[in-house]
Amino acid sequence: MATVTHELHPEQAQFLSTAFPQYVKNLGTNFPVSGLAYDAASDEAAFWKFRATSYGSGNLTLTILWYADTASTNNVVWEAQLACITPDTDTQDVETDGLATLNFVQDTHLGTTGQRVHTCAITISNLDSIAANDIVWLRIARDANSTSATDDLAGDCVLLMAVLSYSDT
Amino acid sequence: MAVLSDADRQQIWADFMASAGPLLESLFGMSKVDIRAAVNAADQWIDDNASSFNAAIPQPARGAMTAKQKARLLVWVVERRWRIQ
Repeated sequence: MATVTHELHPEQAQFLSTAFPQYVKNLGTNFPVSGLAYDAASDEAAFWKFRATSYGSGNLTLTILWYADTASTNNVVWEAQLACITPDTDTQDVETDGLATLNFVQDTHLGTTGQRVHTCAITISNLDSIAANDIVWLRIARDANSTSATDDLAGDCVLLMAVLSYSDT
Repeated sequence: MAVLSDADRQQIWADFMASAGPLLESLFGMSKVDIRAAVNAADQWIDDNASSFNAAIPQPARGAMTAKQKARLLVWVVERRWRIQ
């Protein structure tokens, strides 16, 4: 039994025509810090695509690494949704396929330093019938309008990267 | 003039947060609710004190300038006083 992981980087993200986070590259003192800046006032989403190589069973875990652009307190809410298609088996039109119901996590800024890096995890239990070797689209959004839970963190939240993991058995 | 619409206040709230950042001031310690309350209060204060500001402008400027010109004058003075450009 092993855990399969997929690293999801901001540079790989795709977007719809509206309501997407801005790709940012902040030049730090010693290295560049790239990410996706999710707005505080309106929901924004980014998408990644991967193959569910060696998927076995069970829920997926999406670990999100983020930092606050300007805040040092309060809560951010991250959401995740899947769309899975089994090639040669599923017959739906890929361009009109829907997403499964979202799962979410609320994470609290730990204070002390505004731009410290935080991590949190979403247990994705709405799996859209994922099977091994499916092609999968993953939507990661910020719930800025607090639909799923209260997101009261002021200013942008920058997603540094995300890691999706699951069991191969 | 009445206070701004909810949509206008919402846009100011969003723009204010979007414009903040490391190069400007942080929003440390405030929630989105706190900032929205500040937007509402600032708009309400302007509405409540518009007549007072108008009365403070001496003649003949008070009578000669349009409301928009007076508003623009106030923006210029506020920007200069707090160096917020």
